[in-house]
Amino acid sequence: MPRASIIVPAYNVAKTLRETLHSLLGQTFTDLEVVVVDDGSTDRTVAVARSFGDPRIRVIQQPNRGLAGARNGGIAAARGEYIGFCDADDLWRPTKLAAHIAHLEANPHVGLSYSGSELIDMSGRPLKIAQRPRLKNVTAAHVFLRNPVGNGSAPVFRRAALDAIAWRPAHETLRDWWFDETFRQSEDIECWLRLALTTDWEIEGIPGLLTRYRIAPGGLSAGLRKQLESWERIAGKLEPLAPEFFVRHAAAARAYQLRYLARRAFSSGDGAAASRMIRASLATSRRPLLEEPGKTLTTLAASLALALLGHGGARVMQSRLKSRQQS
Amino acid sequence: MLRIAHLVDDTNPGGVTRYLDFLASDPGMAELAHHQIVVVPRNRPARVAVEADVIVSHLAISWRGLPGLMSLRARHSGIPLIHVEHSYSAGFVTANVKARRRFHTLLRTAYALFERVVAVSHAQANWLLQRDLVQNDVLSVIQPQVDLTRLRALPRPSGPIRTIGAIGRLDRQKGFGPLIRAFRELEGKDLRLRIFGDGPERETLERLAGDDPRIRFEGFVADPCEAYGSCDAIVMPSRWEPYGLVAAEALAAGRTVMVSGVDGLMDHVATGAHYFGAPTIENLRKALMDTCKESQPTEVIHEVGPLHPGLAVQWRQLLFKTLPNLSISGRVADATS
Repeated sequence: MPRASIIVPAYNVAKTLRETLHSLLGQTFTDLEVVVVDDGSTDRTVAVARSFGDPRIRVIQQPNRGLAGARNGGIAAARGEYIGFCDADDLWRPTKLAAHIAHLEANPHVGLSYSGSELIDMSGRPLKIAQRPRLKNVTAAHVFLRNPVGNGSAPVFRRAALDAIAWRPAHETLRDWWFDETFRQSEDIECWLRLALTTDWEIEGIPGLLTRYRIAPGGLSAGLRKQLESWERIAGKLEPLAPEFFVRHAAAARAYQLRYLARRAFSSGDGAAASRMIRASLATSRRPLLEEPGKTLTTLAASLALALLGHGGARVMQSRLKSRQQS
Repeated sequence: MLRIAHLVDDTNPGGVTRYLDFLASDPGMAELAHHQIVVVPRNRPARVAVEADVIVSHLAISWRGLPGLMSLRARHSGIPLIHVEHSYSAGFVTANVKARRRFHTLLRTAYALFERVVAVSHAQANWLLQRDLVQNDVLSVIQPQVDLTRLRALPRPSGPIRTIGAIGRLDRQKGFGPLIRAFRELEGKDLRLRIFGDGPERETLERLAGDDPRIRFEGFVADPCEAYGSCDAIVMPSRWEPYGLVAAEALAAGRTVMVSGVDGLMDHVATGAHYFGAPTIENLRKALMDTCKESQPTEVIHEVGPLHPGLAVQWRQLLFKTLPNLSISGRVADATS
């Protein structure tokens, strides 16, 4: 039995999968299996995974269920005591798994261990942007407001912690769910927040930018509304589990989410959407302004500059924004 | 005869009180020892003079109460102390405790004052071990029991499931708010939700129920048989529940039981309860809908068989482990062999 399983949800990723698998098989912690979940690909994804000829790679095939469903298929098949996730276009630094396992072994209360990420572009070049989240004393409120886990290729779970959030919907006959497959976006933050709200497992980070997280260019602005909608669905879904928590934090979390979307809109060059989002954020709650005044005001100024002055005027702001950008 | 003093500081009607009533009246337990229920002032358990060979604490541990537990230990340094953990569980910590490590330190410190610690469910025992709060060799599991004879004798519901019951204190612990919201989304004019109990959340819950005539607040009912007898199924959407006696009672009464996947409620899945995961509106709505589709309650396993030895047998084993040198009664050896 391998000590650790890394789950790679893979849907039509023949182009990027090879590099991802190389980074996983190159981990300094070697007692692992890589569970590639082919989620109904129509390209050469499976052939790429099989071409390695490494017995540590297991390929699971299932009809398309989406990202959450692919991760769930992988968890159901995983045999490790520790379970990590790496999307099929992201990369792990060679010491990532070793560092998380050392962290989990030294801290038996921790159920989810994560680290920061370095953002890269389609050709693997660093974007000189990093996610450097808070690492210690992470509460459910931090998860809800700032999502320190960051992205779906950052966490390594203890199996027991994942099993504490498993359930089987009535219509599901094959296996349990850990991620909620009814979400097509934000399924990861929903999972982390549910772990924080319904179990006593701790969420904690370790230093270092151990994940290289790939950003696909463009096309985001159109998805802003959808992102906001799925965020609202998370709040609506989890509110009954801890009503008093949502009374205290929902407005601030919504404001942070709007600010995040403003920054994403800014990055994709949509000044109108960015300034709309940041104004909505300020109207929703003052907490981002009080808690992170620098970042909030920069976002406001940059969005306004882009909306009013166009790209030339915003370039100055953009360089400032990038250097501060987190998640 | 062995004298056991059971210390309790909470005499509100609820699981602990009813368990102790049963414990003191069960013939098997009476054969084992003389049981005395001693009501002690909160946080000052050592104030009351106790003459006993074993003291069992059914108290709620707190920082404020810790000095009191220490003086209890000091005052009775020569006799074994046993603690039964009725209050805390993983779900409790999740919903209520911010400073978790500090809280774990409290529990570890308090438990260290006792010879043995008794968990009230296997799920709670797993939590105590997983969080390293108790060493395995001093931990026992004894699920609370009450007299189920009258519940077992209740006529089984027949026909389609139409009346859902929720029983418990109207407190945020019980999760009745989401239950009402989920129930209101169900169609079916002949469906009923009957809520038995009273508590601080009553007004909020009544507001959630609004003008839905299918939902009724029955208030506190002293005789649980009446409550179970008037329902086809029982739902427990609790946020935490160290054991969840209601589930055991409802199963004994032959009712379909739905529980959220927390803490001790998972113990009842082995004896026939259905669990629906976290008590979200969606999960609750689906669980209720599926249950109401069934025409007959599903078969339940509620007989006390070899897997569930009687309460006295379990206590005899506990005492044997606590007092290996004391001859309790002739049956000790049989019970542990």
